[in-house]
Amino acid sequence: MGVQRDIVRFNVGGRIFETTATTLANAGRNSYFGAMFDENWDLIVEDQSKEHFIDRNPDCFSILLDLLRTGEIYLTSNVPEKLLYREALFYGLLDHVRTAKWGSFDGNRLRLSRSVNGRAPGDGTAIRAGPDGGCCVAHGSMVHVYDWMLEEHSPINLDYQRVNDAGWINPDRLVVSACERLGRGDGGMGLFSTSAGELRYKFHVSHENQVKSYTAGALSFSSDYKIYSSCKGRSNEYGIGVWDQNTGQQVDFFYEPPGWSLGDADKLQWLNGTSCLLVSTLFPRKDNCYISLLDFRAKKMVWAWSDIGTPIIDERISDERRVRDAIAMEDTSSICVVNEFEDLGFMDLRSRVGSVRWSSRSRLMKGKMPDEPCYPKLALHEGQLFSSMNDSISVFCGADWVLTSRLRRSYGGSICDFSIGGDRLFALHSEENVFDIWEAPPPPIMSS
Amino acid sequence: MSAQKKRNFQIEAFKHRVVVDPKYAEKTWKILEHAIHEIYNHNASGLSFEELYRNAYNMVLHKYGEKLYSGLVATLTSHLKEIAKSVEAAQGPSFLEELERKWTDHNKALQMIRDILMYMDRTFIPSTHKTPVNELGLNLWRDNIIHSSKIQTRLQSTLLELVQRERSGEVINRGLMRNITKMLADVGYVVYQEDFEKPFIEVSADFYRGESQQYIDCCDCGEYLKKAEKRLNEEIERVSHYLDLKTEAKITNVVEKEMIESHMQRLVHMENSGLVKMLVDDKFDDLGRMYSLFRRVQTGLTLVRDVMTSHIREAGKQLVTDPERLKDPVDFVQRLLDEKDKHDKIISVAFNNDKTFQNALNSSFEYFINLNPRSPEFISLFVDDKLRKGLKGVSEEDVETVLDKVMMLFRYLQEKDVFEKYYKQHLAKRLLSGKTVSDDAERSLIVKLKTECGYQFTSKLEGMFTDMKTSQDTMQGFYAAMGGELADGPTLVVQVLTTGSWPTQSSTPCNLPPEILGVCEKFKNYYLGTHSGRRLSWQTNMGNADLKVTFGKGQKHELNVSTYQMCILMLFNNADQQSYKEIEQATEIPTPDLKRCLQSLACAKGRNVLRKEPMSKDIGEDDIFFFNDKFTSKFYKVKIGTVVAQKESEPEKLETRQRVEEDRKPQIEAAIVRIMKARRVLDHNNIVTEVTKQLQSRFLPNPIIIKKRIESLIEREFLERDKEDRKLYRYLA
Repeated sequence: MGVQRDIVRFNVGGRIFETTATTLANAGRNSYFGAMFDENWDLIVEDQSKEHFIDRNPDCFSILLDLLRTGEIYLTSNVPEKLLYREALFYGLLDHVRTAKWGSFDGNRLRLSRSVNGRAPGDGTAIRAGPDGGCCVAHGSMVHVYDWMLEEHSPINLDYQRVNDAGWINPDRLVVSACERLGRGDGGMGLFSTSAGELRYKFHVSHENQVKSYTAGALSFSSDYKIYSSCKGRSNEYGIGVWDQNTGQQVDFFYEPPGWSLGDADKLQWLNGTSCLLVSTLFPRKDNCYISLLDFRAKKMVWAWSDIGTPIIDERISDERRVRDAIAMEDTSSICVVNEFEDLGFMDLRSRVGSVRWSSRSRLMKGKMPDEPCYPKLALHEGQLFSSMNDSISVFCGADWVLTSRLRRSYGGSICDFSIGGDRLFALHSEENVFDIWEAPPPPIMSS
Repeated sequence: MSAQKKRNFQIEAFKHRVVVDPKYAEKTWKILEHAIHEIYNHNASGLSFEELYRNAYNMVLHKYGEKLYSGLVATLTSHLKEIAKSVEAAQGPSFLEELERKWTDHNKALQMIRDILMYMDRTFIPSTHKTPVNELGLNLWRDNIIHSSKIQTRLQSTLLELVQRERSGEVINRGLMRNITKMLADVGYVVYQEDFEKPFIEVSADFYRGESQQYIDCCDCGEYLKKAEKRLNEEIERVSHYLDLKTEAKITNVVEKEMIESHMQRLVHMENSGLVKMLVDDKFDDLGRMYSLFRRVQTGLTLVRDVMTSHIREAGKQLVTDPERLKDPVDFVQRLLDEKDKHDKIISVAFNNDKTFQNALNSSFEYFINLNPRSPEFISLFVDDKLRKGLKGVSEEDVETVLDKVMMLFRYLQEKDVFEKYYKQHLAKRLLSGKTVSDDAERSLIVKLKTECGYQFTSKLEGMFTDMKTSQDTMQGFYAAMGGELADGPTLVVQVLTTGSWPTQSSTPCNLPPEILGVCEKFKNYYLGTHSGRRLSWQTNMGNADLKVTFGKGQKHELNVSTYQMCILMLFNNADQQSYKEIEQATEIPTPDLKRCLQSLACAKGRNVLRKEPMSKDIGEDDIFFFNDKFTSKFYKVKIGTVVAQKESEPEKLETRQRVEEDRKPQIEAAIVRIMKARRVLDHNNIVTEVTKQLQSRFLPNPIIIKKRIESLIEREFLERDKEDRKLYRYLA
């Protein structure tokens, strides 16, 4: 064994660390260590006994050095998370930390990692996961934005216009849809910078070449960079507006046919496989449920289902058959719906006449409803179906959608909304303004 | 409220203690500024990376990011102004070298500066939407160096001058050129375009405009093309050596436009060296060059193709209408084939087997072959010649090649039915005289015709072959049945031909000599005995005979003669002298045939087995013929040919023509009826179009004749005119 040539010696805030150039190379060129050992700086170790002094916190350095060695991160009790993030930012290693912090998303391996308290109780409208692990919470006329370190940024304040929905375009750009206030001609949809909390662009709707004020509702984004929003105009211009994400221009408008509902929709979902948009308007926003599939290229409604005319025998049965949320499955051949007792039902998109095939799963819930119930919501992520009900979220898997996990925490009241993205699940509670972050831990040490 | 007050108080106390040195920012920046100077002065070894990184970090952390950034901009700018001065001061050729050196330095310095300021680049710059350090350095380089008033035009003219020097044959430093153009592209593609590419393209266009004018005035077409090709390749090579790849399309476009497109017409039509001359002289290299250059220009190939087409048409027209050529049909067709081979080769060697050129060639041939109405006959004669003797000792593959070529010419014919007529006649002669060289070749051609034109076209031809075969069997049967009965008499070979399959003219048979008549009768009885319900009639005009003759000095010869000639010669068995009248009376051979036969028996030198008085070339009605005792020949077998015109004489031609026209009538009528049966109602013009379409594989029907056939069909109540619209016809079922 010869003398190992690539040993590097650091003196960080008084503590000596020894490592190798190979380990430091894991930091990449675009980091403190990458720059330091670039040939420009002549710091290539000639004299192995030479120390490189760094005037930083040695405890954090030790954790980050370990991160470079193993790709894993273990906080010690004397290092708060935030301190580590700050140090990582200094060295240019923040991305390494984010990658090491949690594993890839799996509904059956989720652990509660944190709860974040908001400012005011109740009334949360929506929570939306961002692409990089951050999230935003719409709340009255405000949208609070958190990055992946769960640092809160300047909130987006819409001057008393109620926020209906929000959606991420990228980690720095958020689209917010808001109600129009009577007589003010505002409302609609805007693009905000999340780092500055400022309005960058306002999306317009025009009918017959005239710009009209409108209320924007549910949002959806497509893979070909379009934004879809349900819109309610002042003079019955109801329907779905379409904008181009790059130019911000309105490119299409699907008018609501008579006797149907599009402009009031609760939920829009873009289906990649079929290039269609699923539009769901649900009770109690309307007296009936309207679910339809719009093909924008052919400009027609290619599939529709409504519960109008379903015989109401008595009140109870009608509630049992009432769809509270709907979601198109990932194979886009069927739609999953849920009633207020968290019974799942399925509809076939390939047959012209839709009818719900209910799989009565949990009649147990009947009679056990809390005083202020939150109706179920559905989400899908890589073949796993998530459904929120009261204060817990159920995870269903497999061809028959068997319940495999339940996420529950007895604090904050019912879950009024939840969202999955950036390898995290965010759940917003209705009683206290608090939201939970669920993450899958990094894979076990002995995993193959 | 009280809690808040307490906190305020605490903060005040705290603030007092940590108040930062008011000059802190200034001091820190000085350190960094000094470092940047050192970096530009190649003196970085004394710098501490850790210290500089930490200082930059602290400035951002303590909200002095703005100061740091603006300081950076100012420092970089001042350094670049220095650099600009030193580049400006560089004289002559060292200008570009100095620029290149400084550019390398700047890039290295920029990387190091960005390393120190990494934290600012990562946090302060994105949140304030400022330009990142690296991009900033490039922008400042662009504004202070490349766009400096003293450098911009000088740089441009230096680069263009170098290119120009290389074009005139000098060797330049390509590596340097490449680094400089790459610098322009790195700073921004727009800079490369505006400061180099655009002027480069303009100057090149001027240059090539001048040069091409010079060349075209003093070079011939081939030479000019060589020069143009060389220039084009040079430019492509130049791009690969030191220009941006996107420039290739633009510069080649310039060369194409100035050197080719502008002079296209003149080049192609250049006298004594243009396209026609190249085609005539088989200049494959020049033609190939012309093709590959002209294809780069939008209408280039169209021009080449058009000129080639009109040349081929003109040359072809001369060939087929030259009265000299009409004398020898075989040579005529051979010349057509040679012409086709020549141009096929040109297209495959020089024109990349371009389909559009092949089509042009085909349509040209179609055009001029049909200019001569005798083309179908000549092609058939060519085949006849080949199948009679031309293919003797030729390998099977070569036979196929010849036949394929003939088929190709056949495809060009519009009047395929005329060809069929002639082909049938010629085939009949070949079969009956047993002159065909190879049965396989014959059949192969029939198969080809069949694939080309369908079963109908060849059914009769095939029938002829069947007859030949059947006749052989019949003869065997006949001799077996007769046994010894015929031992002494002459040997008879009969070919039984189906009426209709053969191009026979009904002719009155001549009087056969009694020796033959006996055998004939026996055969007739035999044949009718085995086949009931048939009728046999003798085609004495088509047969031939071998006669054994003993002449005056006892020399014996075998004469091969036609049936008519045999009848005449047999008369001389009993008498040495016969007058024309006597012969005519005895044989009843039709007059023109008789005259021809006598001419060939009495007037052909070396074959004159008869002698006539008076001695003359032509046969008169008062001539007297004698058996020529003194006939000699070094051969035992003597073939007495009939004087036959191989090519048709004028009246025969008219007759064939008439027969063809007659045959077309039912075909046209059938086509009309087929169409009307499907359409029920149709107007005149559409009928003509459809009939023409249906029949064009066989011939091009004349619209006037179609009209006549329609009228005839109306008369016969197959069709009627619409009562209101006279142009409409109705089908009457």
